[in-house]
Amino acid sequence: MKFLRSPRATPYLLLLPAIVVILAVVLVPLLVSFWTSFTGYTLTKPATLFQFVGLRNYQRLLGNADFWWAFARTIMFITIALNLELVLGLGLALLINKITWGQRTLRTIMMFPMMFSPILVGFQFKYLFNDAVGLVNNALFDLGLIHEPIAWLVEAGLANFSIIFAEMWMSTSVFAILLLAGLMALPKEPIEAARVDGCNAWQVFRHITLPFLMPFIYIALTIRSLDVARAYDMVKIMTNGGPAQRTELLWTLMTRVGYQNSQMGMANAMGYISIIVSIAFTVFYYRKLTSARAFMGGAQ
Amino acid sequence: MSNKLTMALLASCALGLLGGAAMAQDFDYGKFDGYTLKVKLIGGTQYEKLYTRIPEWEAMTGAKVDIVSSKAHFDLDREIKQDIASGSISWCVGSNHTSFAPQYGDLYVDLKQHIAQAELDKYVPGTLASAMVDGRLVQLPRVTDVSNIYYNKALYADPAKQAAYKAKYGKDLVPPETFDDFKNQIIFFADPPNLYGTAFAGKDEGMSGRFMELLRANGGDIFDENWKPIFNSDAGVAAVQWFKDIYDAKAVPAGTVNYGWDEIGAAMAAGQLAIDLDWPGWASYFSDPASSKVAANLGFAVSPVGTSGHRGGWSGSHSFSVTEQCDNIPAAVSFAVFMTNDESEMMEATAGNLPTRSKTFSDVVQWFKDNNKPALAEMFPIWQQSLAEARTPPLIPQWIEVSNVIWPKVQAAIVGQEEIKAALDEAAAQATTIMQDAGLLK
Repeated sequence: MKFLRSPRATPYLLLLPAIVVILAVVLVPLLVSFWTSFTGYTLTKPATLFQFVGLRNYQRLLGNADFWWAFARTIMFITIALNLELVLGLGLALLINKITWGQRTLRTIMMFPMMFSPILVGFQFKYLFNDAVGLVNNALFDLGLIHEPIAWLVEAGLANFSIIFAEMWMSTSVFAILLLAGLMALPKEPIEAARVDGCNAWQVFRHITLPFLMPFIYIALTIRSLDVARAYDMVKIMTNGGPAQRTELLWTLMTRVGYQNSQMGMANAMGYISIIVSIAFTVFYYRKLTSARAFMGGAQ
Repeated sequence: MSNKLTMALLASCALGLLGGAAMAQDFDYGKFDGYTLKVKLIGGTQYEKLYTRIPEWEAMTGAKVDIVSSKAHFDLDREIKQDIASGSISWCVGSNHTSFAPQYGDLYVDLKQHIAQAELDKYVPGTLASAMVDGRLVQLPRVTDVSNIYYNKALYADPAKQAAYKAKYGKDLVPPETFDDFKNQIIFFADPPNLYGTAFAGKDEGMSGRFMELLRANGGDIFDENWKPIFNSDAGVAAVQWFKDIYDAKAVPAGTVNYGWDEIGAAMAAGQLAIDLDWPGWASYFSDPASSKVAANLGFAVSPVGTSGHRGGWSGSHSFSVTEQCDNIPAAVSFAVFMTNDESEMMEATAGNLPTRSKTFSDVVQWFKDNNKPALAEMFPIWQQSLAEARTPPLIPQWIEVSNVIWPKVQAAIVGQEEIKAALDEAAAQATTIMQDAGLLK
């Protein structure tokens, strides 16, 4: 009690509400979900929350080929989507940075895809890539480029391509906006000095612009890797992980197991294993971010 | 279960005609002035027309209805499971389905304890029997689904096609009576990308259900009498082979393995399909010239038989249930009965749905005749024939979970990713684990 009344307690007391809220909305659910991953918790039978099954869920997952395929596919999905979004986003940012008239309007237009709900984007691309009535196939037919429909959402390669394409359409502008912010903050002096010293455009980009942008790139990559690792809505609408689990990602699988099958204990075990993906990407990008900032003299 | 259901359905239709006078007794809907009834209802065009009757119930009882949720059934199912898990059942009436009901444990009341037998006798006995879970009547059925064939009459009436079919298969071109004929006709009519023989629900319970239907028609089943999964039998392999054959022949849209009911219905209405094995609820949509290109040529036929000489008769009912935790169970029961009473069933039936009250079957045929809808009047007796061999999926809580291991493997076999027998064996092994975990299989 004496400590509570002392000035030393003031910071702790001020922080207490925040700590309570964080405990209530983050730590407690995390602990409960972690506990359930060791139980046979079935959503429709609340009593099973206390049915301890030890490591059974994790042991079953180790031998579950469908889960590991979804795991690998999710890593592949993140890697391809992020790299393509980065390249296109960087290109867009560089182009828009060159514009001197109408840049604000273009920046606003560029943000439109981000404003759509992923479910809406899923329906939009499901229709575009539909093999029977889709706009893409109809256009290809009319141009005489194909003579029988392409099964965009069925063939393994094409189905994954279609989903990545939709993901890129929606989120490339996130990269573009973040990198454009970096370009706008770029000091002009080093670039002018390099040009005076005879550097060409590529050399300026490679040795000055890009190193300066790297911290922004890694921040964008970190944010987007967490986003893409949780990809669900769009995939659910476009293919629901199928056909034959060709587009199954961790979240479509976990949702089916957790909600449709009611096996929330097993779904949470999947969740805890899959967190490894997010942690790995975050740690990797954070290290890269730190080294990039160190290179720029921004951190030790 | 299925034979009893079949007999009961047939008997009920006869009883419906004979027992009209005995059913004249009116249900007392009660007075609940100032009470607000919270409900969670299935959403979607074909289901929501019935909700236009809600103001009538409100005026009659003095209560108000608050629709706290209106979603597609799989989303509603997810939400209800979340409510059970979080212990927040603050609503009274929920949409339900015979395939989903066994999962919910004791969430819903036994309506036999709250509704007089005289009122329950007005429902089709077989339909009511399939609404029971562990001997408890946990739902009041509002419409029954059973597979039937819709076909484009214009294609069958084309003399050139009739001659070509006869020359190729040695048979007259009439709606298919067996799954073999069905397959031949699907391949025969296909002229992609403008016309496909048919399309099938290729994912979720739609795929599992269609597989189950063909499996049963071929003499197989999902489980044996001890709940051992046996769908990887020869009958199961033949069932998947049927889907694979029409898929490989490109007689169905390649995307059909991603199709749900809406995509199939839209394709049929757009005139892109020659034949469609589908639910009664589409009849009104397909026969409406404003929404369907095949309206003028829409034909109806009973679903085909398999190698066993029987129909698979995949069937189920949409329904209303009342929660145990409802704060005014009489009001909730009143609402559920009102939404399935004679007038409500008539509204469902005039839209082409199979009603769940015996009396409506005869009333609606007369209504179609009086309202110059001869095609729909012709349809109802055909739908009743299909009911004769109607069978629900296994009425156990594990059905959806087992379905979720069946359809991805059936898909994998259809698209050629896995060999059929290996895919079914794998699914059967996973289903065995599910049944063992549930304690149903030792």
